[in-house]
Amino acid sequence: MVDILSTPFLWVVVTIGLYGVAYWGYGKWMDRNVWRSDAKKATPAHMYMDGVEYFPVSRYVLWGYQFKSVAALGPILGPFIGITFGWLPALLWIIGGNFFIGWLQDYGAMMLSVRKEGRSFGPITYEFTGARGRTNLLAFVLFYLIIISAAFIALIAVFWNRYPGTFVATLGILVAGLLCGQLLYRVKMNVFAVTGIGLALVVLSIYLGVLFPVSFKVGAAGEWNIPIWAGVAVLILYVAAVLPTPTFIQPTNYLAFYPAYAAIILLLIGALATPFTNIPVQMPAGPIWFNSDLGPLWPILFVAIACGAISGWHSLVSSSSSAKQLDIETDALPVGGGAMLSEGLLALVSLIAYMVLAPGSFGAGNYPSWVDGATRLTTPFLGGLTQPVLTTFFGLVLVIYALTVQALVTRFFRLVAAETWSEGRFHVFGNKHVSTVVGLGIPWAFAVSGSWWALWLYFGGANQLLAGLAIMLITIHLAKVRAPSRYSLIPGVFMVVTTLSALAWQIWSFTNSAVQYLQGTPFPGTNPDPVGWILRNVRPPINVKAYALVALGINAVFVVVGAVLFLVGLSMAVRLFRSYRVSLTEARTKVLAAADGGMRKT
Amino acid sequence: MTDSKEAADPKGRKGRGAKVKEGMKGVLYGMAAHGHVTAALRTRMYLEHLFMFITLGDMLGVPVIPPYYSLKILPYAVPNIKSWKQRVFRERDFTDQVF
Repeated sequence: MVDILSTPFLWVVVTIGLYGVAYWGYGKWMDRNVWRSDAKKATPAHMYMDGVEYFPVSRYVLWGYQFKSVAALGPILGPFIGITFGWLPALLWIIGGNFFIGWLQDYGAMMLSVRKEGRSFGPITYEFTGARGRTNLLAFVLFYLIIISAAFIALIAVFWNRYPGTFVATLGILVAGLLCGQLLYRVKMNVFAVTGIGLALVVLSIYLGVLFPVSFKVGAAGEWNIPIWAGVAVLILYVAAVLPTPTFIQPTNYLAFYPAYAAIILLLIGALATPFTNIPVQMPAGPIWFNSDLGPLWPILFVAIACGAISGWHSLVSSSSSAKQLDIETDALPVGGGAMLSEGLLALVSLIAYMVLAPGSFGAGNYPSWVDGATRLTTPFLGGLTQPVLTTFFGLVLVIYALTVQALVTRFFRLVAAETWSEGRFHVFGNKHVSTVVGLGIPWAFAVSGSWWALWLYFGGANQLLAGLAIMLITIHLAKVRAPSRYSLIPGVFMVVTTLSALAWQIWSFTNSAVQYLQGTPFPGTNPDPVGWILRNVRPPINVKAYALVALGINAVFVVVGAVLFLVGLSMAVRLFRSYRVSLTEARTKVLAAADGGMRKT
Repeated sequence: MTDSKEAADPKGRKGRGAKVKEGMKGVLYGMAAHGHVTAALRTRMYLEHLFMFITLGDMLGVPVIPPYYSLKILPYAVPNIKSWKQRVFRERDFTDQVF
């Protein structure tokens, strides 16, 4: 047994303990004193019960649903960038971000929606900020979806390229999903029998993936591989988005659930078993205040690790369907807050998978190294399984996390596009096929041209900004009903300022690269050629001098994307802060009330 | 899709072990299937909207099929009219479609 302090074990225990304090201490206190949840009060699930959207569901079922809806690739890959500032700052953000902000947002969004008759964030934004505020939100969400899609398509392509066994395994799961869908809905076979067949096919798919690895090299150094893999991903996603959900997405996501969650459990066991498996922490603790590729620790770390600490996407999930199915108000804490704190544990074990790797194996382009870390953590107690099997399994887990979420994101983009353009001059963009092609084509172009970290930081920036805006909506409601609002106001201001700063840094970084190149400033790398300034922001095959003009254009596009995100976010933030100030003034002139809309005792 | 607590434990007499088992089953169901069940219900809802619109379009001033056939279907459609109106008139936003 190695020195327990040199293993990640202690950090797992400390984090679980602190999350326990967040839930049973801070969480219960907020629930009792700020939101004043009341188990006897009718929730929208009872008030508007229709058996379709509004119906009461057990807190256990809803917790499972909420956790599954929020936990995906974000908490797995965010820590990769976070750890470049040292694992200690990343760990502190995963603990502190979730403790003070993350769970509070998910829980608050759910409670806000419950108190607003189950309405989601669109109508609530309309109520608090007017029609322009809602239009702002719509524009922001459209951009956000494009950036998410670009990041995820790039990731799927890289995973397939890096782990040759994963492509056949992925195809196997997709075919198994199609087959299970037919067995379930056409043959009307029992769901348990279908699950058994499906799981057997998943195992077979992994085995076939190991037996028949797919790898190729297009171009001298395989520089065209990623665009080709990304194209394959886009084709699959197109089919997934236009086919009816019970035919493809639904059964595939159902089957994908089992290996994905088996991996989380294995990783958690692996992290807790490190004192017995003799796996020490190898990465430096930090803090590293400035990273030459990414920028300063603040604000970059806080947008790099989004899900697991705080994520704006969760506010949409919490207010979209979970709030409509909450049985009693007091369930909001275990469902919303509890699921978020549990997701923090996923981010933690993913961070640990990176912490146990040797610093030498860690480079800017080595982000799928989560697979290596997960294999290292689990090999000692899964010794019967060989390295290629485990690598294919964990690689497949990354792919299916990205693919299943991206399929839903593409469908959501289609619906938002229909909402935005179904009438008027641009009605063609509301068409099912056109909007899907646009919703996949633009992200594909970003995925194959921009560097992964640039996409991830924009994705994180948009996601965190959405979180800040969601917390501000919660704060406005609390101010309106004269409940204590500073507990959400401070995190809200922090998130908005941090995220806008991160976006501003990104814009400056891309602008500076272009300006330095145009001025001919020598690049501070091994090769002093000024073209290095712009080539560092793009991926192969464009990152060669022959494509300097294309690279310059891509830098310019990234500046524009960042500027649009920044301006839309800023405009939204200004509207929300104004609305907060007005709400505060109005509330002071009214009778005392509480967060539940009733009278507060004085 | 009723509250599993009430369905499984109407008189609150279950032991701790049974409650844990119930909770575990609920979590597994919630993670693996609840979203899909909800999605299937929504799909059925939209198909029902369409069916009601086609069969009872007269009510909205849109005679899609001749009233003779509408009247024949009426006895089967009447029990669903109230919940149909409740669902079809509900305000929906793009943010409702996330999951």
